[in-house]
Amino acid sequence: MTMSSDNETFSNAQLNAITANENTSASDKPQLHQLNLEAISPRYRVINISLVFGIAFVLIMVASALRYQSFFALPEPLVAAFPYIVVGISVLGCLWTTYHFFADPLIKYALREQDLSLQSGLVFRSLSCQPILRVQHVELKRGPIARLAGLASLQVFSAGGATHTFEIPGIEVEVAERLRQFILDHKDVSAK
Amino acid sequence: MASPEVETAKPSESSAQGKAVKVDTGEGWRRLSPIAIAYFTLRSIKNMAQGAIYAVPAIAVTANITDNIQSPNTLLGIAAIFIIFFSSGVVSFFMYRFRVNNQHVEIHSGVFSRSYTNLPFWRIQNVKIELPFYYRPFGFALVILDTAGSAGEEAKIVAVPLAYAHALRKQVLAEHQDSRPLDARHSEEEHQETGHQQTERHASSYVNDSNAVANIAVNSDQSKRYLETNEDGETILNRRSITDIVIHGITNNRVWILLGAAAPFYDNAFGYLSEWLAEKGLQLNQLVGEQTIAWWQFGLYAFVMLMMAMALVAVISIGGALFTFYDYTLSRHNDRYIRRSGLLNKQEVSMRASRIQVISAKQDWLDRILKRVNLYFEQNASIGHSTNELMSPNRLIVPSVTEDEADELSQEVMPQSKIRRSDYQSISKRYILHWVIAGLSIPFVVGAGFGIYIEHLDITAGVTFVSAILLSVIVLRWWRWGVVSDGKYIYVRRGRIGVDYLCFEPYKVQQVVVKQSVFMKRRKLATVQFVLASGAISVPFLPEGFANELANNVLFEVESKRKSWM
Repeated sequence: MTMSSDNETFSNAQLNAITANENTSASDKPQLHQLNLEAISPRYRVINISLVFGIAFVLIMVASALRYQSFFALPEPLVAAFPYIVVGISVLGCLWTTYHFFADPLIKYALREQDLSLQSGLVFRSLSCQPILRVQHVELKRGPIARLAGLASLQVFSAGGATHTFEIPGIEVEVAERLRQFILDHKDVSAK
Repeated sequence: MASPEVETAKPSESSAQGKAVKVDTGEGWRRLSPIAIAYFTLRSIKNMAQGAIYAVPAIAVTANITDNIQSPNTLLGIAAIFIIFFSSGVVSFFMYRFRVNNQHVEIHSGVFSRSYTNLPFWRIQNVKIELPFYYRPFGFALVILDTAGSAGEEAKIVAVPLAYAHALRKQVLAEHQDSRPLDARHSEEEHQETGHQQTERHASSYVNDSNAVANIAVNSDQSKRYLETNEDGETILNRRSITDIVIHGITNNRVWILLGAAAPFYDNAFGYLSEWLAEKGLQLNQLVGEQTIAWWQFGLYAFVMLMMAMALVAVISIGGALFTFYDYTLSRHNDRYIRRSGLLNKQEVSMRASRIQVISAKQDWLDRILKRVNLYFEQNASIGHSTNELMSPNRLIVPSVTEDEADELSQEVMPQSKIRRSDYQSISKRYILHWVIAGLSIPFVVGAGFGIYIEHLDITAGVTFVSAILLSVIVLRWWRWGVVSDGKYIYVRRGRIGVDYLCFEPYKVQQVVVKQSVFMKRRKLATVQFVLASGAISVPFLPEGFANELANNVLFEVESKRKSWM
C-alpha cells in the first residue's frame, strides 16, 4: 500500500496527531517532547473506577456474607477483624480510585509517520516510543467490559520481549482498528 | 571412519564441494550409525531423570526405610529399567531415518508420535556439530540444524561420521554464501538511497543483511591481524590456553557446572567427608556442642574450615571451567562467529555477526586486579530459553581475555568501537539521594529506632553497618554508571564492584523509553531506556537535555537508516 492511501486512512480529525518525521535532515531531527499527544478515551477512566468499585463491593459482600451467615461459626479473631477488613478494603479502593482519577487522563499517545509513542504515569512519567519499523505483530485486546464500552487496547510487539510490549490502553475500537491497519500497511511492516 | 550407510550412498549429482565425502544420500532413506543407540538411550534416561527429579527425595527415603539397596531385587530392578531404556533406544534407532537429497534434509523420527521434518538447505540458518564424549573415540558427530532462529525448529541428525558432518555443513553454509553477493548489491543500492526519500519499490525488496555485509567489508582490512585458519577455512580469532581457563575458573564461579552434575552423590559425599574428618580426630559435634575449647580456638577452626571450603570451591570452579572451556576457540567463517570448546563433550555455539545486538565486557573485582575481561556477544534473548547459560545460543562468551584482546575482539565485531574511554557522561548525584530516600531511609530508621527502643544497641549498630555497606554500593553504582555516544555506537558503563561495558549500534534499538518522575522533572533529569532484542539497557538520572537528545538521535537513526536488527 502506498503512503498516500495511508494518509487517507487517517483523514479523520481524531487522528490529526500524525506529524511527518521522515524527510527531515540531521540538523532538525524530530523531537520527542514536541509530540502532538492525543488523550485516550475518557471512558477508560470510567471503566477503571467502576471496576475498582465493583471489586471492592464484591469483596466487602463476600466478607459480610461470611460474617453474618448462620451455617457455621467463624473463629473469634476473624469476627473481631471484620470491621478492619472492611475499612482496609474501602481505603485501598479509595486510593486506587484516586490514582485512576488522576493518572488515566494523563495517558496520551501520538502517531508519527515512523513511530508510535505513549506517555503515561502520575508520579513516574514515562514516554515510550516504538518505531513501526521494528514492529513484529499487532494485536487488539478487548476484555468483556471494554467490549461493552466500545474500547480496545492496542498491543504492539517488537523483538524486545514480552516485558516491553508497547500497549495503548482504552482507545475507541475504530481508532484502534485504524491504528492497527496503519501499522500493518506501513511499508516497513508489510515488506517483511 | 565412515559409516557403511553413507559410504554406500549413490553418487550424487551435486558434488560441488571438493571433498571425497558425498553429502547427497540419493533417493534412498538412510539409517544412522549404530552408535546412535547410545545417544537415544542416554537421552531417554536424561529425560526421565529431569522428569523424576522431584521424586528423588521420596525414592531415597523409601530406599532408606526398606534398606535393601544391596539386595538382588533392587539390582534386578535397576537392570530392568536400563534394559527398558536400552530397548527404547534401539527402537528409536530403527524408527529414525534421514536422507539428504536435492538440497533438502529430510528426517523421519519418533516412536509413538512420528514426526517428519523437511528442511530445505536455504532455510537452515546454522549447522552445529557436537561431539558427545562417547562419540569421540569412534569419530561420529551429532549434527544440529538450526532454522530461522527458533529453538523448537531445530533438527538433529543424530549420528553420522565426522567427515560427513563437516561436508554437510560446508555444503549447507555454501548455500548461504551463494546468495550473498545479491544481498550486498541490494544493500549498496539501499545505502545510496537512504539520503533521499526511499521509493516503495526498494523498501519492499529490502534485504536484511546489509549490516553483516558492511561489517565484513570493514573487517577485511583488520583480518590481516588473524592469520591462522582451520581446516574448514575459518579464521581463528581467539584461543584460550589452560592457564586462561584456570584464571577464568578462579575469577568466575563455575562451581555449578560440576556441582549440578554431581547432585545425586551429595549425600554419600558428605557421609564420607565427616567420616574422614572423624578419623583425623576432628569431631564437629564435639566442637559445637561442648564449651571445652576457647573461643579463639573455635574461631581458628572456623577460619581453617572456611579456607578449606574456599579452596575446594575454587578447585571445583576451575574444574567446571575446564569442563566447559577446554580447548576454546573462537573463529569466524564469513559472517558467522563460532565458538567451540569442551573437555568431554565438544560443543559449538555459533552466531551471525548481524544478529549480535550488544557486546558486553564484564569485569568482576578479581578480573580487575588480574586485568581480565569476560566478553559476551549477545543476540536475541527471546530465542530458545536454554537452561545452561554458558551454552545458550543467545550469548557467545569469550572467557577471561586480556583487556587488549577484549578491545581487539570487540573491534572485530563492531569496527572502530572503543569501549574503554574516559568521556562517559556520568549520571547525577541525585541518583544516590533517590535511593537513600526511597530505599534506605525507612528500613534504617525503623531498624535503628527499634534497636534503641528495645535497648539493644547491637541491633542499631548492625543496622547502621548494613546501611553503610548498602550506601557504599549505591555510591559505587552511581560512580560507575555512564553513557556516551560516538555517533556510530552507544556505550554504557555500569556496575557496582565490578564494571560492565556495553556497546551497541543505535539502529538496532527496538524501543526507546524516557522516564521522569515529578522530582526528576523539577531537577531537569531523566532516565533513558533502550530496548534491544537482547534486553533493555537503561541509564538513569541523566541531564534532561542529554537524555532527550540521545533518545531522539537513536530514534532518528532507527527510522532513517531503516536497517534490519537481525
